[in-house]
Amino acid sequence: MGGITTWLPLFALAYLAAVLYWARVAAVENGNHQSFFSAGHSLAPWISTLVIGGAALSGWFILGGATEIARTGFTLPAILQAGVVLALPGTILFKRLWYAGERLRLSSQAELFNAHYRSPALVAASVAVAVIFAVGFAGLQLRAVSVLVSDLADGAVSRAMAGLVLSLVLFGYVVIGGLRAVGYVGVLQTVLAAAGLAGLAAYALLDAGGVAALTARLAAFAADPASAGLFSVSGVIRFTAGLGRDETAVTPTALSSFGLAVALLGFQASPLALKLVLSTSSPRGLAAGQTWVAACVFGCLILVGVAILGGVGLVNPAKAPSALLTSLSTVSPWFGAWLVIGLVAGVQLVAGLALIVAGEGLVRHLYKPYFHSRLDRRATVVLARIVIALLALATVLMEALSPVALSALAGLALPLAAQLWTPLLGITWFGWISRPAAVLGVGFGFAAVLLTEPMGLQVLSFLGLDLPWGRWPWGLHSAVWGIAANIAAVLILSAIPRSTAQTSAAADLRRFFASRLAMPPRARALAAAAWSIGLVWVFLAVGPGLVFADVAFGRPGSGRGWLTGLPSIWAWTAALWMLGVGFVWFLAYRMDMAAPSHVAIAPYEPPRQLRPDQRETERARLRTAGITVAIFASLVILVALGFGHLAAR
Amino acid sequence: MAEAMPKQTERGLLVFAIWATLGAAGLCFTLEGLSRDALMLALAGTGAVVAAFVAHMIVNWVYGQGFTRGEATLGIGAYGLLALVFVLAWLSGGVDRAGYLAGLAFFGTLGFGFVAYLAARHGLRGTFSQFHVHGSATGEPK
Repeated sequence: MGGITTWLPLFALAYLAAVLYWARVAAVENGNHQSFFSAGHSLAPWISTLVIGGAALSGWFILGGATEIARTGFTLPAILQAGVVLALPGTILFKRLWYAGERLRLSSQAELFNAHYRSPALVAASVAVAVIFAVGFAGLQLRAVSVLVSDLADGAVSRAMAGLVLSLVLFGYVVIGGLRAVGYVGVLQTVLAAAGLAGLAAYALLDAGGVAALTARLAAFAADPASAGLFSVSGVIRFTAGLGRDETAVTPTALSSFGLAVALLGFQASPLALKLVLSTSSPRGLAAGQTWVAACVFGCLILVGVAILGGVGLVNPAKAPSALLTSLSTVSPWFGAWLVIGLVAGVQLVAGLALIVAGEGLVRHLYKPYFHSRLDRRATVVLARIVIALLALATVLMEALSPVALSALAGLALPLAAQLWTPLLGITWFGWISRPAAVLGVGFGFAAVLLTEPMGLQVLSFLGLDLPWGRWPWGLHSAVWGIAANIAAVLILSAIPRSTAQTSAAADLRRFFASRLAMPPRARALAAAAWSIGLVWVFLAVGPGLVFADVAFGRPGSGRGWLTGLPSIWAWTAALWMLGVGFVWFLAYRMDMAAPSHVAIAPYEPPRQLRPDQRETERARLRTAGITVAIFASLVILVALGFGHLAAR
Repeated sequence: MAEAMPKQTERGLLVFAIWATLGAAGLCFTLEGLSRDALMLALAGTGAVVAAFVAHMIVNWVYGQGFTRGEATLGIGAYGLLALVFVLAWLSGGVDRAGYLAGLAFFGTLGFGFVAYLAARHGLRGTFSQFHVHGSATGEPK
């Protein structure tokens, strides 16, 4: 009945037809260019909920997370705890951000930063993160899927061609239907990706001989002293110089898990997730979405599906996730084709969202306000489409020509996005975070991330400055170094009496939150309990408490074996995941942090101001920007020639 | 500021999502059963397709609609085409025992389900009227 080369194109055609159909529906509903960027704020809550969950799940967890477990064992339990970790920021931030967007009539993170802090630096930071997600994060995943498709086609389709076709489909539906198409197609992509993960995990389990056979193999592995370390975290922390500088830095510790969890917090603080939240018609789905969709359903899929895929790959490296797909495609090409399409869909979901947000950011939030304010709406949309095309092209070129740089760039996306937590907290909960504090916090955070990631280290090395540490010193993810520098800067600057006044929009938001969204007395009474539960959960689930995880539910060779039949660290993670879902529910509903408040929202009326003719200023600004870029590039070349790699040649 | 999203769109998305998962799973299980001569796998495929129909009808009920004209055309067309392929394959002797039983179960279940759905929705008389061509006042078919 035909092999994978027959069925994959058939399933791909069906997928393409569905994608283009919904892109067309979106374009018709958009009517014109008015709602290209935000779908007229009309996305149904369930759509946003599903798509945010799907984008967070994306292809990374299906292939990346499982491959990581297959390689390093269960030493990074934060991977399996991702459902709860990804849901926490949404529970804490989304409700107030949605109301802020509705009050100020805004639809993106960059606009919120501009209105609340009046800071071009924060706007630029938000846009930069979106671009890195679009080119780096999504590009790396597209590359992984292109390689998989090319391998499955047995070389009939080259990797470059597979990447080009995938990017063309992506570009097509994004420019046709804008954010509305990303939302509509995202629903299909989410269910396909989730079904793909569930199906692949089921096949992996069947192929391994069932649950009993898999756990028996895992127990044998754990009983062997040579591989016992794959089932435990290696202490709380190890003071190493980082990857690339110290061989012992490879083994993850408990705080390595904490670092990964902090990085994962970045997704929901990224402009991607907020774009969907702010384009939603109502906050009704936020609590249910974070609790039941993200933490519970997707969390369970990750905890079970990814763990099974990784576990099977661990006991039999020939059955690592991508090899498993190849083997499935041989014995059952239709199932193989369906699951591959699920993976492609999961990757395209996050890539499409990133492209539209990055395109909007570059055109609507940077170019238009600072260099060409007379650009009308239609021209803005046309320009954004061109920029999206260029970003997609850049992604394809980087996939084909510089995969190492792509990988380094991708590594920056989550930790940089995590740095946007502080300005977002300033908008939602901590009004005392002033503009200078937020800007400097993000600046220091970005610097610390760059100094502990290969991209920054390589750039400095190119300029002749070799730092004495490698990637992730002390085994701590760059997100942790960034957030530590970020919080320190924010606290120090916020302690200094403020000289800068709040913007009128920020003052209005503070009054609005205080009068309409104040925590009810019942929730206030529970605040101490919430802090306590939260800290205990973090300590046990992704923090130093993980050192108990490998023995808490028994140990092979101890006479009793594993009490639940599963590796102790897996069972520990499952128990903490259940508590984590409860904690998210507690925050969302009992603490009223995500449950919708039924308040009427009158639009904020900013003070009327005359808008002087900006043309001369914008021309001067453009000249200045050009000269600055030229000087900066010259300086870089000069430094590299004088001290760096070019001098060494 | 928010405009309402068309209910028809929400319903359409749910229908697509159902068929992209349950429908595709049904197709894959059926093919797997036929290729392995495994009746239970093929029946699992039929079960998944029936589950997709039930989910589709639940969505229809939630949104207060029936099947659209396009859905009905596609469904009946696909059913007819598959039935034709099955009969031709049977006549040419290309269907083994598992395939034969799975085919009967598939077409029988869906055919019975279709009639039962119409009867439940329109009543027996109304069901007949769905297919009966009424004459118009001018004597021309409508």
